[in-house]
Amino acid sequence: MKLNDELEKLFGKKLEIAAGLNNELYLTVQENQVQKAISRLYENNFELILLFCAENFVDKGFTLFYAFEKVGYSEILVLQCSLAGNHVASVATVFPSACWYEREVTDGFGVEFSGAFDKRRLFLHETYPADFHPLLKSFKNGKIETVTPSGDEYPFKVVEGEGVYQIPVGPVHAGIIEPGHFRFSVIGETIFNLEIKMFYKHRGLEKLAEGLKPQECVKIAETVSGDETVANAVAFCSAVEKISNIAVSRRALQLRTVFLELERIYSYLGDLGGMIVDVAYPAGASPFFILREEIFRQNEALTGSRFMKGIVALGGLCKDVPEQALRNLSAFLGSFSKRLGKAEGIDNTFSLIDRFETTGNVKPELLIPLHVTGPVARASGKTTDTRIDHPYGLYREMDLKVRTLQNKDVLARFSLKAEEILDSIKIIQDVLCKLDSGEIFAPYQIKDGYALSIVESARGQSVHWVLLKNGLVDRYKVRTASFCNWQAIEHAVLGNIVPDFPLINKSMNLSYAGTDL
Amino acid sequence: MAKRILSVFEKKATENFPFKDAEFEAVGLSLKKEVDKVFGRSLAIRELDSGSDNSTEIELVNLTAPHYDVERFGITFVASPRHADVLIVTGAVTLNMATAAKKTYDAMPNPKFVVAVGDDACGIGILNNSYAVLGGAEKIFDVNLKIPGNPPSPKDILKGILALTKKISEIKK
Repeated sequence: MKLNDELEKLFGKKLEIAAGLNNELYLTVQENQVQKAISRLYENNFELILLFCAENFVDKGFTLFYAFEKVGYSEILVLQCSLAGNHVASVATVFPSACWYEREVTDGFGVEFSGAFDKRRLFLHETYPADFHPLLKSFKNGKIETVTPSGDEYPFKVVEGEGVYQIPVGPVHAGIIEPGHFRFSVIGETIFNLEIKMFYKHRGLEKLAEGLKPQECVKIAETVSGDETVANAVAFCSAVEKISNIAVSRRALQLRTVFLELERIYSYLGDLGGMIVDVAYPAGASPFFILREEIFRQNEALTGSRFMKGIVALGGLCKDVPEQALRNLSAFLGSFSKRLGKAEGIDNTFSLIDRFETTGNVKPELLIPLHVTGPVARASGKTTDTRIDHPYGLYREMDLKVRTLQNKDVLARFSLKAEEILDSIKIIQDVLCKLDSGEIFAPYQIKDGYALSIVESARGQSVHWVLLKNGLVDRYKVRTASFCNWQAIEHAVLGNIVPDFPLINKSMNLSYAGTDL
Repeated sequence: MAKRILSVFEKKATENFPFKDAEFEAVGLSLKKEVDKVFGRSLAIRELDSGSDNSTEIELVNLTAPHYDVERFGITFVASPRHADVLIVTGAVTLNMATAAKKTYDAMPNPKFVVAVGDDACGIGILNNSYAVLGGAEKIFDVNLKIPGNPPSPKDILKGILALTKKISEIKK
């Protein structure tokens, strides 16, 4: 069945449906019908992947966009709803994942969600003045007057009872890690409740993007999260390329795929090594860090940057890669699997299995309500991978299989990531075998319009929506995988002991920068 | 089981790869001399992320990984600011982090030094016009040294730390 037909079955004929530029369908709903429509979608196994707002999209005023995916459809459904004023009914009781999105929209635009169960501010901390909404068009980006917090602390959920105590951790942590605050409520050593307060690193990236030329905005996409540089740059460029109808050359698509998979490999290697370090076994972790460093050096030889920054460009790539670097990469990958296998033998170690097994379960029943994504979801049995569900670029031609594991614990995430590294190696080797020798850059002319683009980063689904007006970026919305998966960790740690928190955290590998934007 | 026990006598993974970067080793050894002289053989660094894109942190962590392993040169990354001689600041200072950043610095004992690592911390990144950031690290700290780069490589960072110790050594004279 086509998505169109299913929508007609659900909502009747005479729908206002418009086809988007990148395999999405925009369905217009009236403000008073939003909650009903979304409940209907929930009952029919649609999953909310993003909710965001844009100002002056059609006419003056706010438009909300609710994006959904459903197993079996490669299209993304976007409910589009223009508001008469600045309030609308909350859908967080239907999709709990909407909670953070709604708070984000309220902070950014001042749109209120009636009936929401959590109305605290999200990315605007206490230092921001009341009634400040940075994403409003009336606010011109620039320095603002901050306020001294009145001393009222951010209200965390209070867990009371005999023997319950709180452990506040962060924002500055005991290591070379990004900042965030964790509030544990603990009985003895067991975690009874965890609440996280993020957005310490909020840099205002979405506002910075406004008014930029699309080609200048690639830098903003890259800085969303340094270790997802390629994924986010490709996602942004793909959106603009769809809008402006730019045909990227085959060689550029192939090389982008190589970079995307290299990024996945070094990211996973860091996770595997990090998990082993977190159970106090640095000697076992060393082989993974050695391989990871070697990938960074391959990246540098190929692109001039260890994080592959500045290589992806609108219309293809900024520059071609040296032939010698490609030959070296092939040779390096030839022996890689064997070396990884040797390092991986580590997961036969008793003390390691003892710490990994049954630790940090991500329960399958949370996967859809929180839209858990990427390897974390796959290690809990969810068949999801953007490269296969909503294929883009070269992945359209590949015959990939989604790997899943059922054990949902740290060990499952460890094993899954190790297996997926081998898959990525295979992908790169296949691409290198058939590497096209053509151009790497297609000249283009920017057109106005909007499109949604999704890429599978190392952490999971990274969703980008770009609106171009008069050749400039009018609205750029990014939602990385970490934004969703952070909310899952609050549940994954329950019943575990506090010393296992770093391990669980590492196994889920969440980006603070990519969440805080 | 026997194989596992015997594996203790095998060469370790870190012994199995050739180390070729002579320049890095040379920088490390001169740094060790300076650290011995100026900091009594150990230089304790506390890293503070005030709003980076996380790539600079990754390079700092890499300094402790097998290819670099800077503990050989007397450099340690410490968990508490109370143990630190140097504060390495990464990223632009966001409004949301400004208070926590200042508290971290205040918790360090004297004498203390601040190094800004990465373009954003050095105040030359792409974020300066944002409502959400104050700017580079010097907006809230007296910065003793800047190590630009997006992000700077582990070698660049180590060279920077060497430059800092030399600078301090000059002051000491």
